[in-house]
Amino acid sequence: MGSKASVMSRRLVVFAVLAFAMVIVPVVTSVPSGIDHSLVKNGCNCHDGGGPSDSVTASIEGVPESYNGSESYTLTVSFTGGPGTEGNENVGGFNLWTSGGTFASLDSSTQLKNPNDITHTLEGNNQRSWTLEWTAPADNESDVDFMLHVNSVNGDGAASSADKWNRAEVTSFGIGDPPLEPADPFKVLATLIVVSAVLLSIVVLYVFYRNNPEGFEWQRFAPWITEWLTSTDHKKIGTLYFVQGLFFLGVGGIMALMMRVQLASPGNEFISQDYYNQFFTLHGTTMIFLAAMPLIAGFANWIVPLQIGAPDLAFPRLNALSFWLQPVAALLIFTGVFSGAGADTGWTGYAPYVVTENTHAGVSMWAAGQIMLVASSTLTGINFLTTMAVMRAPGMGWFQMPLFTWSILVANLMLFLSIPAFGVGLIQVYLDRTIATAFYDVSSGGDPLLWSHLFWYFGHPEVYVVIVPAFGVISEVIATSARRSIFGYKSMVYAMAGIGLVSFIVYGHHMFTSGMSPALRFITMLTTMLVAVPTGIKIFNWLKTMHGGSLVYRTHTLWTLGFLVTFTLGGISGMFFPSMALDVHLHETYFVVAHFHYVLVGGTVFGFFAAIYYWYPKMTGRMLDERLGVLHFLTAFISYNALFWPMHRLGVVGMIRRTHTYYITTDDFQALPEWAADWNMLISVSAFLFFASNLLLVVNMIKSLIRGEKAPADPWGGWSFEWMTSSPPPTPSFDPHNLPELKDANEHVANEPSRLGQMFRRLMVDDDASEGGSH
Amino acid sequence: MAGVTPLYDAIWEDYMLWSLLVGAIAFGWLYHHSFFYRSEDGESPNVDNLEVGVFPKDYDNLKLEVTWTVLPFILIVWLTYISWAPLDAVWSQTGPDGYHGSECQEGESSNNYIDSDGYVRSECYWEVGIVGQQWFWNFDCMGLSEDICSTDFAGGIPHLNLTTGETYFAILSSNDVTHAVKNPGFGMMEDVVPGQETYLWMPAVEDMSFLMLCAEYCGDNHAYMTAQVNVNS
Repeated sequence: MGSKASVMSRRLVVFAVLAFAMVIVPVVTSVPSGIDHSLVKNGCNCHDGGGPSDSVTASIEGVPESYNGSESYTLTVSFTGGPGTEGNENVGGFNLWTSGGTFASLDSSTQLKNPNDITHTLEGNNQRSWTLEWTAPADNESDVDFMLHVNSVNGDGAASSADKWNRAEVTSFGIGDPPLEPADPFKVLATLIVVSAVLLSIVVLYVFYRNNPEGFEWQRFAPWITEWLTSTDHKKIGTLYFVQGLFFLGVGGIMALMMRVQLASPGNEFISQDYYNQFFTLHGTTMIFLAAMPLIAGFANWIVPLQIGAPDLAFPRLNALSFWLQPVAALLIFTGVFSGAGADTGWTGYAPYVVTENTHAGVSMWAAGQIMLVASSTLTGINFLTTMAVMRAPGMGWFQMPLFTWSILVANLMLFLSIPAFGVGLIQVYLDRTIATAFYDVSSGGDPLLWSHLFWYFGHPEVYVVIVPAFGVISEVIATSARRSIFGYKSMVYAMAGIGLVSFIVYGHHMFTSGMSPALRFITMLTTMLVAVPTGIKIFNWLKTMHGGSLVYRTHTLWTLGFLVTFTLGGISGMFFPSMALDVHLHETYFVVAHFHYVLVGGTVFGFFAAIYYWYPKMTGRMLDERLGVLHFLTAFISYNALFWPMHRLGVVGMIRRTHTYYITTDDFQALPEWAADWNMLISVSAFLFFASNLLLVVNMIKSLIRGEKAPADPWGGWSFEWMTSSPPPTPSFDPHNLPELKDANEHVANEPSRLGQMFRRLMVDDDASEGGSH
Repeated sequence: MAGVTPLYDAIWEDYMLWSLLVGAIAFGWLYHHSFFYRSEDGESPNVDNLEVGVFPKDYDNLKLEVTWTVLPFILIVWLTYISWAPLDAVWSQTGPDGYHGSECQEGESSNNYIDSDGYVRSECYWEVGIVGQQWFWNFDCMGLSEDICSTDFAGGIPHLNLTTGETYFAILSSNDVTHAVKNPGFGMMEDVVPGQETYLWMPAVEDMSFLMLCAEYCGDNHAYMTAQVNVNS
């Protein structure tokens, strides 16, 4: 026993040492600050094409050993040796580059190439020494490098190998961390008291807990919330997801409004670029991961078990874990914003910027939060796929599943296959940022394009993950509203599967301008165009479903017709990107912004607004107010189009994304036309109207919850199982011992094996025959 | 809508034509059915006898479904076909098979012109360097004579002065993070990726002066990372 314990503790020590070594080793061997300025080091744009010459000596004087922030220093650069002698027409020149601070020219012998790059003038090329001014960076924590190239020429006016050059490097040290202030004794005492009190109370609580564990149950001191915190019921968790999704839809919307105020006029100073950059990053991350995905997960949780006639999901506790990872992740993602240093990388978080020191500290938290979301999505994927595979009600084959359930299946399959790549990328970013590994650090051999590949391998399927469930909703709503079967049920399923398949081979179009090989550019162009085929099938099938039907106009019907308009427009504008000559103009402009808001807002959000109006009576047992609903649709549809349609034109004239300001044409140069400012103002105003119009939905939901008319079990006349249970459904949703059985209006078809099935049947030897053969 | 290069304009018009056609079919269809097949009395004759717990009867038509699979497919093959040649032009290779020949020798001129298909063709090209750095652009004329290419720094931003009629092949590199050269005047953009060289054609066909921007988010002052490109005879 004793020896076993000592082996254990020895192992623990070894592990501890190893873990410590792993943390410390990368710090001492790699350069976390990264990039060296290789271009400047390689080349001196000097008169001689050969290498540096020892006959020339370069020197810089006046660079302080350690500098003070914002202070100006007078520097003297000079050279000796080489062919340049006094009396020549030309003697020599120099180029001085610095990694921090700015130069200023003191006389006509020097000129600025860039704020951090200074060189001699024509007048100054008959000198051997030059004087100039350097202003140190305000933040004096990091070291500043100077790189000087000098050129000594023979004065014959022609560049030749007789001219010689050399270089010198000097570093001025920053002061590092600011000096520590002496501690305030009262603060030390207070801290001690607080820490002791916390520790003491933990001990006391633990003693109480050991005496009576039941006294610490949620039920005892917060019975009103226990139900929500500990529930594993798919309906409760669905509601939690739903509330979270709507909440973050509002938060993301408010960030968008801030950005729109900033962009209302060029050169606006409403929020600094610091905040603008955080807001556009978090707007993307929030809308995709914390609003769209939870809204989808909310409806999937609510509706999928009901539609397939299952009492609950296959793994209810896993489901609760999936949800509770979300608010924690959201808190992590937003941590930076609360301190004014939220992630500022764009939701795509391109490497190597995402791992450099110039980013805000919040990026680490942003990555950490998303790692948790990856875990949450993976668990959700496992859960739903299992549920659909094994818990369908008797009589329901794969091809009798309602289309919303099919869409969730396709979406989760895509997510499940793509999101691990994103998880890997995020973990690499997190390690790069925290323990100085070098996955994306170019100077240590990291590859920035690796991130682009990992991200878009996930990112492109991801945008279909959020649109495909909306397809499912539209299929349900349009069939029920038109009082018809959906046209081409099977081709609908194949089209969704086709979109899922194609989504994995098109992501290259996000990297068209990243130096991709021409052959790959062509292949990606073709595969990207292919997306239009299954999407087209779906749109035509929906239109054909209405044919010969009897369309009952409800609010969800209006949203569905609205979806067909906006999503088709978004689909058409998407066709412009695969074409190269158009793409190189439109890439990274507002045309892209317009396109993906047409498919994500006009597609996903409109689709899920239809879902809210369609399933709200089922979820709450109360009908929504139709008049408020119609008002919501009309105001939102008009303001939405006024908001996003003008962005197409701004993109075409060259307004680019992700900048907190934009430039209007002046006498000196051509940029955006003058009307671009007015159009931006129009967009900003429409943005506020669109936001306000959606408050009608919130009002409607709250009002109806309190005073709404009672909902019957099947208010719209749908066919799937969710309309069989009461509104709201009981828990468990269906009696596990008395599951419903699906009947089929096409009995003869349902029981016949498919063509594939018949082929397999012919290939296989049936069981009896094989037993006979073995004897 | 005014584009920037003839190549862009030609393709844009083709795409707009097909977009309008597809849009007209889809929206015309939607408009007609939304009104023609609406339920007259707000009540609902249950056309396909939908019933709770019963999988509805099949409603499909293989011929129609195949039609709207095959027709869009033919359309996208056509759209890919017309976008293929511009792909070669936009990222033309260097050398005799490309659109811009080989590198110019001293005394030569690109003599570029727009051919009848809207492509820019040149006899030879000049190499220039563009280096991205947080948050400004560095131009490098690589020793070309002043009347072909020159740089200066004015109004707080770097300037690149090019000559009309000459074609430039820009070699792009980055000192720190990923940037992207967005040249609205030449109708082109390309990423500037650290640790890698990328290339961009800049055919200076007519006199112009435009603002070059950074189109890949690169940090705080990304929006201020601008430069002015002047093309003069």
